[in-house]
Amino acid sequence: MPEGRARTLLLFAGSIVVAFALWQFLSTVVFNPFLIPPPLVVFETMLPMVRSGEIFRHVAISLARVGVGFVTGCAAAIVLGVILGRIKLVNELLDPIIELLRYLSPTAMIPIAVIWFGIGETSKYFLIFWGTFFIVLVNTTAGVMRAPVIRQRAAECLGASPLQIFLLVVIPSAAPYIVTGMRIAMASSFMSIIPAEILAADSGIGFLLQQSSILLQTNRIFVALLTICVLGFVFDRLFRIAVDRMLSRYMSYIALT
Amino acid sequence: MRNVSKVVGTAAERYVALDGIDLQDAEGEFVCLLGPSGCGKSTLLNILAGFDQASAGDVQFEGAPVRGAGKDRVMFFQDAGAALLPWLSAEENVRFALRVRKLPKAQWPAIIDKYLAMVDLAEHRHKFPAQLSGGMRQRLQIARALAVEPKVLLMDEPFGALDALTRRRMHGFLLDIWQRTGKTIVFVTHDIAEAVTLADRICVMSVGPGSRIVEVVRVELPRPRDPADAGAGRIFKQVETLLEAA
Repeated sequence: MPEGRARTLLLFAGSIVVAFALWQFLSTVVFNPFLIPPPLVVFETMLPMVRSGEIFRHVAISLARVGVGFVTGCAAAIVLGVILGRIKLVNELLDPIIELLRYLSPTAMIPIAVIWFGIGETSKYFLIFWGTFFIVLVNTTAGVMRAPVIRQRAAECLGASPLQIFLLVVIPSAAPYIVTGMRIAMASSFMSIIPAEILAADSGIGFLLQQSSILLQTNRIFVALLTICVLGFVFDRLFRIAVDRMLSRYMSYIALT
Repeated sequence: MRNVSKVVGTAAERYVALDGIDLQDAEGEFVCLLGPSGCGKSTLLNILAGFDQASAGDVQFEGAPVRGAGKDRVMFFQDAGAALLPWLSAEENVRFALRVRKLPKAQWPAIIDKYLAMVDLAEHRHKFPAQLSGGMRQRLQIARALAVEPKVLLMDEPFGALDALTRRRMHGFLLDIWQRTGKTIVFVTHDIAEAVTLADRICVMSVGPGSRIVEVVRVELPRPRDPADAGAGRIFKQVETLLEAA
């Protein structure tokens, strides 16, 4: 459907243009260029930061933090989530704790993380891990618990062993839930890294925001904000493409059945 | 004939769901369990499959007590969409059965071809369950079940969700496969006409809780049977009266 696709692209581009126009309008007519620097000024500020590589250094360090926290968080959450979904006793024991702890957002954990781990990398890894862990955990547990009983029984009477049922039926059945949880967790990681870096870091995009704020450099603040938007968007798209490439057969049937 | 299944009483949630069920099933026979909704037909079938346990009495298969599900008794579900693996194509679903059956890989292609051809799905082998019609999914489920070469097929209202025409076709289809493979079939239904069309024996069950097999009706009519036929009509009437009295 090239036509539908062209239309989507056109609308997307249109939406961006409108956003920039609105931005320009708010900056020059409604407020003033100091509070909201106009798009062109922001790009002029961004150029030297791109040329010197300054912005990339901050992006790289933030991405590394998100990466480490997200990957370890997912790994731990999937393992525990599968156990919780499969073993009722463990679920009943741990569920109350999880239900309480998951309301502690990464931001709420910043003060204690700084005391535990200092302002080095570990505290950031921990905070992203924390945020990712509970989101993926809850989704994985739900996915494993909802693997259709009929599907498992059908496999069982074909002669599948408990391990085969688990690996070949339950896990693939849970895959859409796990992937959805990971996607939400990734978006949340990109959000939580910023407060973590604002409050407790000497590098990263959050630090750039904080530093620019202290120096009242609103145009640099806008560069940082724009960077966060683009990063989140790009990584979500990459994630979706990767899922489409590798897991589409586990994902698509949801819409079909 | 070494194929004995016997269930005596199962109490679920403090009421007696099935009470004193005696059932012997001969090898190669087509048996229908017929009864109103909620009479415990599916419970009984689950016990035969080994998914549920009888609370009293014993269930034996070929002289050995039934413990857990086994590939000699394959259950066949009404919701084929749920029973099949939606992320595998038709061919891969059959392959899954062979994989868990631990057959040498070299034999797989021939067996897959054989059973897909038997259920007329050879040309749809690369389609996913969601791309198949309801009747095709049921046929795929049959192929997958046959691929593990069970002795008994346990069918739980397998065609209940199909339209009348597809259902009739599936009946002819199932009988054909049954005659060719000589499997024992235990078929659960609440549809009298379906039971009369298919079964050698119809076990009429009473309304639950505490339902029993009130009578076993032998159907000794030649196949294919026409429900509008006089002989079939008589049995239909007989079964209907039994059900109403039960």
